Amino acid sequence: MTHQPNNPRYGFLIDASYCIDCRSCMVACSVENNVPMDSTRIWIKETGITGTYPDLKRFTAPFHCMHCKDPSCVSACTVSALTRNDDGIVSYNQDICIGCRYCVYACPFGVPNYQWDEPLPLVIKCDMCFARLGEGQQPACAATCPTGAIQFGRYEDMLAEAHRKINERPDKYVQHIYGEEENGGTATLYISPVPFEELGFPIAGTTSPAYSNRLVTEGTPMVAGAMLVGLTGVYLTIKHLREEAERDRVEAAKEKAAQSAGEEQ
Amino acid sequence: MSIDLSRREFIQLGAATAGALAVGQLLPLMVVQAAQEAGMLNTSGDGTIPSMCEMCVWRCGLLAKVRDGRVVKLDGNPDHPHSRGHLCVRGQSGLFNTYDPDRVLHPLIRVGRRGEGRFRRVSWDEALDYTAERMLEIKQTYGPEAMVFSSTHNLSQVQFENLLYAYGSPNYGTQRSLCFNAMIVANLMTYGIEEPERIYDDQLQYIILTGRNLMEAVSTSETGDLSAAIARGAHVVYLDPRFTKTAAKATEWLPIKPGTDLAFHLALLNVIIGEDLYDHAFVTSYTVGFEQLAQEVAAYTPEWAAAITEIDADRIRRIAREFAAAAPHALAHNGWRTSNFINSFQTQRAITILNALIGNWNVTLRAGGGEASGALGTIPQPAYPRSSAQRLDHVPSRFPVVPLKLGVFQELRDSILSGEPYQAHGWFIARQNPVMSLPDRARTLQAFEKMDFIVTVDILVNDTAWFSDVILPEASYLERYDPLNVVGDRAYLRQPVIEPQGEARSALWIYKQLGERLGLGDYFQYTDEQDYINQQLAPLGVSLEDIRSQGYVDLPPSEAGGFEWNTPSGRIELFSDTLARVGFSGVPVWEPPPEPPQGEFYLLTGKVAQSTQFGTQNNQMLHKYADEPRLWLNEGVAADRGLVDGDWVEVSSEVGVGHIRLLVTPAIRPDCVYLTPGFGHLSRGLTTAFGLGASDSALHVTYTDPVSGSQALSQTFVTVRKV
Repeated sequence: MTHQPNNPRYGFLIDASYCIDCRSCMVACSVENNVPMDSTRIWIKETGITGTYPDLKRFTAPFHCMHCKDPSCVSACTVSALTRNDDGIVSYNQDICIGCRYCVYACPFGVPNYQWDEPLPLVIKCDMCFARLGEGQQPACAATCPTGAIQFGRYEDMLAEAHRKINERPDKYVQHIYGEEENGGTATLYISPVPFEELGFPIAGTTSPAYSNRLVTEGTPMVAGAMLVGLTGVYLTIKHLREEAERDRVEAAKEKAAQSAGEEQ
Repeated sequence: MSIDLSRREFIQLGAATAGALAVGQLLPLMVVQAAQEAGMLNTSGDGTIPSMCEMCVWRCGLLAKVRDGRVVKLDGNPDHPHSRGHLCVRGQSGLFNTYDPDRVLHPLIRVGRRGEGRFRRVSWDEALDYTAERMLEIKQTYGPEAMVFSSTHNLSQVQFENLLYAYGSPNYGTQRSLCFNAMIVANLMTYGIEEPERIYDDQLQYIILTGRNLMEAVSTSETGDLSAAIARGAHVVYLDPRFTKTAAKATEWLPIKPGTDLAFHLALLNVIIGEDLYDHAFVTSYTVGFEQLAQEVAAYTPEWAAAITEIDADRIRRIAREFAAAAPHALAHNGWRTSNFINSFQTQRAITILNALIGNWNVTLRAGGGEASGALGTIPQPAYPRSSAQRLDHVPSRFPVVPLKLGVFQELRDSILSGEPYQAHGWFIARQNPVMSLPDRARTLQAFEKMDFIVTVDILVNDTAWFSDVILPEASYLERYDPLNVVGDRAYLRQPVIEPQGEARSALWIYKQLGERLGLGDYFQYTDEQDYINQQLAPLGVSLEDIRSQGYVDLPPSEAGGFEWNTPSGRIELFSDTLARVGFSGVPVWEPPPEPPQGEFYLLTGKVAQSTQFGTQNNQMLHKYADEPRLWLNEGVAADRGLVDGDWVEVSSEVGVGHIRLLVTPAIRPDCVYLTPGFGHLSRGLTTAFGLGASDSALHVTYTDPVSGSQALSQTFVTVRKV
């Protein structure tokens, strides 16, 4: 079975070496999207302070929805409140959401933020500032980042830029673009001077759980069809064999009867 | 009891405000009309208006997104050199400053005891009449010098100064001596300008940051420039007793012993001169006093400095050589806040001289344009009355090289307390919070007790307003005009993006109203804010309407790139005769700082990205994303004392005490503690900030640098014990 999700149209390239943990992206996101005060769509991941005084290090990076090519949350959503559009933006429709939280558990990146304390809880997640894109503006986080740690543009350009940067400075960056393969590939890409697990990024497989899920959900009709055909065949075969056997038995009986009648004569 | 009363009163005021807002939105709106006529808002009132940020003094350009009479988002203006399309975390939170539920939106007059927080709502007429009456009474009874004025860096400050000089008082307090007097005076003595502009071009190779925590004291464009320089591979040496977010980005972090930055820089000068690494041509052509300098620094070897700074001599020598080798593409940043001791003026002088020796003028440093431009029109006014009274801050009598407009604020406060040489009776405060910003808060409150009358202009009932007799509600920076701001060869406009809420009014309006009531109307010859700006624009042949939608106007280009300095010699003064003649050393000289007694710590403060001084802790959005204020203590020291992360501790200095939770960390020298600054508010009118953290100003002991008048903010020693 082949399923090739299209590449996203837009992508983020987040370079942890530039992040100064100022949280401008977080405030910009919350203001732009009217995010409830008890929730957030964006976090700072960090290594914490490592090393021994005075040889210390600290790295940080903003972290928000990865916008997977093959999103587990979309796959898990029972009512299609989460969808991936043609541009590759994974967005959430609060009017449809029934609050089941399957997306929260399905996302390998821990992105959907659930309002546990609200009577009518919503899922809070990044939608690439869909409304701003429509007005020709960059997403709020990328637009405001004072150091340019968050870049935004065409996905192909972001991927190429990520490759260029890590190829040019192998001394500076780990040779891995987080999001290029993770969970089947994502629109948010990261490069970093330290291994991603040290930044607290989840170690995600290269295929999306949505893929396995689809094997089952999309395979069911075919398997069921095949089984219908197969079992029908088996049934027909058995029926045929039974009928043949019956015919043989009847004919044998007739022959036997005729034979015994001849002997009596 | 009184607290409950005051809280209830605030809630009532808030409800009244909401009503006023609802009515206000039904009226034809001047701001909306003007913006629609300029094509910035459509007929539904939606659109984008350019203006200027005021969440700090960097003043980035902003684009305000307005929907139906409400500002809903702020973005950085790509057309402004300070923002270049970006806003920092505080700039992004600006809506929560303007729409703070604690905003004071009506004039208030105190009814309870001072500090009880009980006020009654009055009309503007009553508030202004009462204020003018009290100010005239003080003037007639004690003379104009008995009225003290203080205000912190803002665009309407020119009219604040106009008010105070027209009134006739010499007593003017600014934040400058609490912040950067040492840096400014050092630059004036060396270059004849307050602060040379720093140039971060593609070739910049080497940067020395002396406590300049640019990744947390964010100035959007400069922080971006430094970050880009680091990405290009520039070498950054960062001196700070604390592993800050800048330390994390620097090439090397030097956890220097507090107060010894001067020794480090004197040793750099020693190596650069001793090993003949300086720019001979530049020094010969453009400086004076090299011989005196060489003679003084000869003794300041890296080995000498190593014992003082706790930085290896080899490392100091290497940094000096690398810095000189990178010349002229090297920059020693002045910095201004961390590690302020009474020797900070000498430190700043050493840094300015370090730059001069490698000849980086017009390469990484140049004469900045400043905020004034001769191309703009001025408002006509009569000459100011002459004041023969001495200034209470003893400038220039005790501080002969401190410019009058900088002053020495902490001395002013102490003269109010002592009543010498005369007693002050009134205090006019605008956009400033001296209760929080001056060291030794208990003394500041005692000085308030000496006052017959205190009036405060602000957008919130900050800690100073809380102890005031009259509060005049100012329109926020998104609700008002200010005088034009010159940056480079442009004058930028701050214009309202929404109608002022409640009865809040601009500072330009408030000062004019008071001026007229004080009989000083001739000093305020503008009909309103728009007329003021039109008078500024007149010589350029344009009007406010012409520049509204662009948000700025181009000025005739200024000349740049010269090699002339506004010093007595016309050259860069390595030796300053001006200093020598008033009894100070003409070249930088070592002055040992005091050290904490056994068992005590240096108390450090220093910025966090999510707050500006004492004014933003009540911003709910910043509060949402900022770390809890804590006291940092080195993990080894904490272990020795049986303290663990999160413990509540009592931190005490000789003047104050605070209670706060501990942050146990490897990121600080064992002999220091660091306190998140700006917290520990006293005003219950700040409902978000009240009760958070401990006050650094309550702990700070007042020590003044004798040359520049700078408050030595790191010279306070504290004890820490578990509670």
